[in-house]
Parts: sequence; structure tokens; C-alpha cells
Amino acid sequence: MLERFTPQARQALETARAERRRFRHDHIGTEHLLLGLLDERTGPVAGLLRAAGVDADQVRAEIEREVEPAELGESDAEALRSIGIDLDAVRATVERTFGEGALEAPVPPGRRKLFGGRYPGSRLTPRARKVLELSLREALRLRHEHIGPEHILLGLLREGEGLAALLLVRAGLDLDDLRRRTVSSLEQAA
Amino acid sequence: MSQATDLAAAAGSADPRVGLRAVVALRRLLERLEIVQVDNARRQGWSWQEIADALEVSRQGVHKKHAGRRPAGRQGGS
Repeated sequence: MLERFTPQARQALETARAERRRFRHDHIGTEHLLLGLLDERTGPVAGLLRAAGVDADQVRAEIEREVEPAELGESDAEALRSIGIDLDAVRATVERTFGEGALEAPVPPGRRKLFGGRYPGSRLTPRARKVLELSLREALRLRHEHIGPEHILLGLLREGEGLAALLLVRAGLDLDDLRRRTVSSLEQAA
Repeated sequence: MSQATDLAAAAGSADPRVGLRAVVALRRLLERLEIVQVDNARRQGWSWQEIADALEVSRQGVHKKHAGRRPAGRQGGS
């Protein structure tokens, strides 16, 4: 399935993955996918979302409030500091020897099916995985051979229940309207 | 952040909330470090018995805790 993703769609997934790491969350959820879509490098869909009033910094701030930080997040770092342990220094030392992300929680087994080991899919939440499955379905429905960021957005809107959808609604967006605009932007591009 | 500096000054705080939170964080760090080091030992061919001895725990305990997991980390530290 990954072969069907356009370079821009892959960029969106790559950004989603980077955002997860930055937040030190354990999994990639729909909210990270949304941030991926807001990355300029994903092409027109980022502009479309921005024009609709979605702001990446705003989304990040909301995620910060909504999502429990993973274990060994900022509050752990602070608690360790109180007894004189610099978590960042420990992390840097461990990563120097064992590679980036060595101190992160191991990926639970049995979650690597759809996107294989090559991909951050191994850390996707069930909902985020569903969004990507729906993006494929949207592409098929529109008779498009490839899955672009627009299809991921359509999948996200179709799924409709993740944190990303909630944030979009809270930002005052009409999801059906956004859906129509996304489809018409795809038609213009075709 | 500045609050954290105050905390650092009072290392081993008398406030149980602060002290116990530090214990939790330390336990989490310990768990992660153990995973990293056990996986490294396995990659370097250590037996469960050798790992258990080094960790000063039972072989059964260390096997039960770590054997079912997919090894983490990409590089060995040999």
C-alpha cells in the first residue's frame, strides 16, 4: 500500500512521525497526521487547511493540552531534575551508543502488519491506521491511482472521530464543506 | 523550568508529592534503560543466565520480562 503514496503524502507521514517524536508521544495519532498535512512541503493541502483557518501552532498547542505525554515525557524530566538527574543528558548518552529513540518505549508486537517495519505505521494508533486505509478507499473511489495528502485529509474527515477531526471542528470548520473543497482541489489538479 | 531549578535546590524534597513523583520517573527511566541494556546483551550473545546474574535477579524473572519482546534499538554497542 505504501507504494501508492505520492512523495508529498510520504512527506506528510514523515512529518507526522517527526511530530510524534517531538512531543515524545508513544503513538502516531490522527492529530500528528493533521500536523503532517499542515507541513508546507505536502503541497496544496497545507494551504487549503490554512485558508480554512487551521493554524499549525494552534493545533500543536491543543495537542499539548489534550494528549497525555508518553512516559518519560517532560513531567518525568522535571521530576528527575528534582533529584539531580538530567534526563536529556541520559537520553543523549544512550542514543549516542544505541541510536536515536533508544530510550523510547518498545513498539508493541503485532502492530506492524499494514505498513510493515519500514514505516512509522508500526506506531500508528488504530484510528490513524484507519485514516490511512480510508485514504486508499477515497483514492479508489475517485479513480485516482495514487494517494496524495488530499486523500489522507479525506480519510481523516471520513473517519471523523479522531482528535484531528475534533480540533478541526473546534477551530470552527465545517467538515463537510472542507471535504467538498478538498475534492474540488483534487479535480482542479487533475 | 525555574520551578524545576527550585526543586533541584531542594533535592530529595520533603513534599511527598515531589519525592514520589521523582521515584516514578526514576522507575520509568530504569525500565527503559533495562530494556536497552538487556537487548544489547542479547545481541552480543549473552545467555539469559548471564544477564540475570549481572542484573542480580533470577533467570526466570529476566526471561519472562524480556524474552517475548522484539529487541529494541538498531545498533549494537560492541
